[in-house]
Amino acid sequence: MVHWFAEHEMRPISLLADKEERVPDEWLRKVNRMGITLSMSNFGGDAGKKKDDAPRKEPRERQANRLGVIAAEELAWGDPAIALSLPGPGLGGPPVMSTGTPEQKERFLGIFTKDEPRWGAYALTEPGAGSDVSGIRTSAKKVDGGYVLNGHKVYITNGGRASWVVAFATVDPSLGRAGHRAFVVEKGTPGFTCTRVAHKMGLRASETAELVFEDCFVPIDNLLGGEAHYENRAGSSGFRVAMSTFDSTRPIVAAMAVGIARAAYEYTLDFVKKEYPRGGRLQTDVLAKLGEMDAKIHAARLLTWEAAWKADLGQPNAKEAAMCKAHAGRISLEVCADCLEIMGPIGLDGHLVEKLYRDVKVFDIFEGTNQIQHLIVARRLYEPYGLRL
Amino acid sequence: MLSFLPSDEERAFVEVAQQFARERLRESAREAEKARTPGDDLVSAAHELGLLSLEIPESLAGAELPLISQVQVLEALAHGDLGIVQGLPGLCDSASVMRVLPQPERLELADGAAQRVPWLHLSPNEVAVIVERSGFRLEGVAFPRRSTLGADQLLVSFLAPGGEAIVAWLDRTAAEWSEDAGDVRLGLLAAHIGRIGFEGTIVRPEDVLLRGDEAERVIREAQARVAVLEAAKCVGAMRASLEYTIEYTSQRKAFGQEIPKFQGVSFTVADMAIETEAARNLVWQAAHAVDQQGAGALQAAARALAYALRSARFVTNQGVQMLGGAGYLQEYPVEKWMRDVQAQAVLYGREMDWYERAGARALGLEEKEGVLV
Repeated sequence: MVHWFAEHEMRPISLLADKEERVPDEWLRKVNRMGITLSMSNFGGDAGKKKDDAPRKEPRERQANRLGVIAAEELAWGDPAIALSLPGPGLGGPPVMSTGTPEQKERFLGIFTKDEPRWGAYALTEPGAGSDVSGIRTSAKKVDGGYVLNGHKVYITNGGRASWVVAFATVDPSLGRAGHRAFVVEKGTPGFTCTRVAHKMGLRASETAELVFEDCFVPIDNLLGGEAHYENRAGSSGFRVAMSTFDSTRPIVAAMAVGIARAAYEYTLDFVKKEYPRGGRLQTDVLAKLGEMDAKIHAARLLTWEAAWKADLGQPNAKEAAMCKAHAGRISLEVCADCLEIMGPIGLDGHLVEKLYRDVKVFDIFEGTNQIQHLIVARRLYEPYGLRL
Repeated sequence: MLSFLPSDEERAFVEVAQQFARERLRESAREAEKARTPGDDLVSAAHELGLLSLEIPESLAGAELPLISQVQVLEALAHGDLGIVQGLPGLCDSASVMRVLPQPERLELADGAAQRVPWLHLSPNEVAVIVERSGFRLEGVAFPRRSTLGADQLLVSFLAPGGEAIVAWLDRTAAEWSEDAGDVRLGLLAAHIGRIGFEGTIVRPEDVLLRGDEAERVIREAQARVAVLEAAKCVGAMRASLEYTIEYTSQRKAFGQEIPKFQGVSFTVADMAIETEAARNLVWQAAHAVDQQGAGALQAAARALAYALRSARFVTNQGVQMLGGAGYLQEYPVEKWMRDVQAQAVLYGREMDWYERAGARALGLEEKEGVLV
């Protein structure tokens, strides 16, 4: 079903959206009326449980994470930029789900209805704090009734159009990670502006915004989890909110990278069947490359499924989430590059693979760079030996 | 829904294999390499535990385990020592042919699970095949293969002139061939690697088990099974190298700190872990696909082996690299694992050949340069 949507609704507008650097508004309204949204809220934690579920003697095995990565791969196969532009809470969903109070969940997640497309966003990265998120400098000063935010966020997907963003700020930089807090800042709040939308190498149809907070008052009711969350849980902080999100979103991002690689591979396979010279050395080179690409894609997919499976079982999956993201991020670019090589110069002219190559590069960077993923894996490997890397 | 959980039965058998690997295989590894054979005691112990008959059909008194169970056991054994695993009897690659052969019980085996019967799937131009009134005549020296030295029975398959596939059973009581241990030094030295020489060896009509389409089917399916089993052994070797490397480096200091605190070391180890896990997942997927005999099973098997061979070469190479000078010495196991894996890659290679076959299948080609794809 998801593949049908990707093939018949997303892929036909893929190259156009890339050229115009936007997804047509009418298309977004249409898919929103169809009820199709990008919601990552079902992944990880206790999400997916319904209040009226009858008590069971044995816990039912959840499937949300596995279904999520399967769907993410298909959506990205259709078009990754369009997938990221689908209405819904997006990456803002998981922190609201995992940390928000029941009232906050209702208030912020209840706005995604079929009448009008709406978006959520997640604002963590700053010009001086990318991989090292503990270095964020957006400040949150406590005042009567709430907090005043001052700072600057970059690379925020759907940041300009979002009805709200989950913005991370520090109440005291000297506290490091312990000083981080997560706020939901609603569009239209005085002092909260989108200053620019970036032009990028790829994912051009996806909005990537810069946000500025200038004496932006955020009411106390918009502190995710409320003060109680930080008072009651020793060591709890916005930093932990941010990091725990990654264990569920990294497999999704990895799955998207797999979808992009698969799209490039299948497009190229079709090209070879129709266009390629038969016989001779070129054919042998192409066969081996196709075989390698197929293997890489399958390997990346299975690592991603493994990470999602562990999340569904409620098991810690930080290592697996990092593994799949590191692997998928790397091989997906390799596959796209190999596809371009097979297609030769023809591939530069109006073919999908060229766009996919530009799109996929960022998947080895955002949601934690390849290097950060390696650090996480290495930390887990050496933990049993008492080494802290 | 997709799951990565082994069954309770599989877990129990794997524990037996792990214990055997830890207590017997790892301890005997260097000795077996020097002696160029696993040793009778070790073979008897493996036989008693049922570890030699996993792939053999029940009609030949074997365990006939599904591949998904076997890959877990073989990974555990190869974690002990790949070199010894490849030297164990138990019909060897022929067992996979017998799994898919109609009525394998018609074969008169000399010693069942305790014997080595290599399967020589002869490539075009490896050995000349001449059609004679009495059958076929084989002329030439085959490529090195494991389990050939001392074998009294051979399973051979080839494409006859004209392209017909043939599967035949040769017994020393009726056919003649020579064997040459050659000068093998790289690795898998306990695997009885040798070259079979066919000097006018006659394959009689009564030696032919299958021909034509049926022979092609058996060859392809058996190759898929062998690919999965050999890939599983690679995963075991990778895991051995990875775990040893983590433990060693965690205690090694340089420039005032433990060397994993340098990202050049920790990131490499992380890559070793990623490749090991990726290969294992592909092996399990392929094992399941071949067990289910689904569409794409052959593709999955070729993919798993090609990937496992390349990953195993990477991981075991880095295992030596991460130990520095010590890694190069035979006092430490990592150099042996690197040699064994490279020998494995050469014997069950070439990676590019498996990738080419996978690519050819993706394009819908059935054969490439006379090779069944």
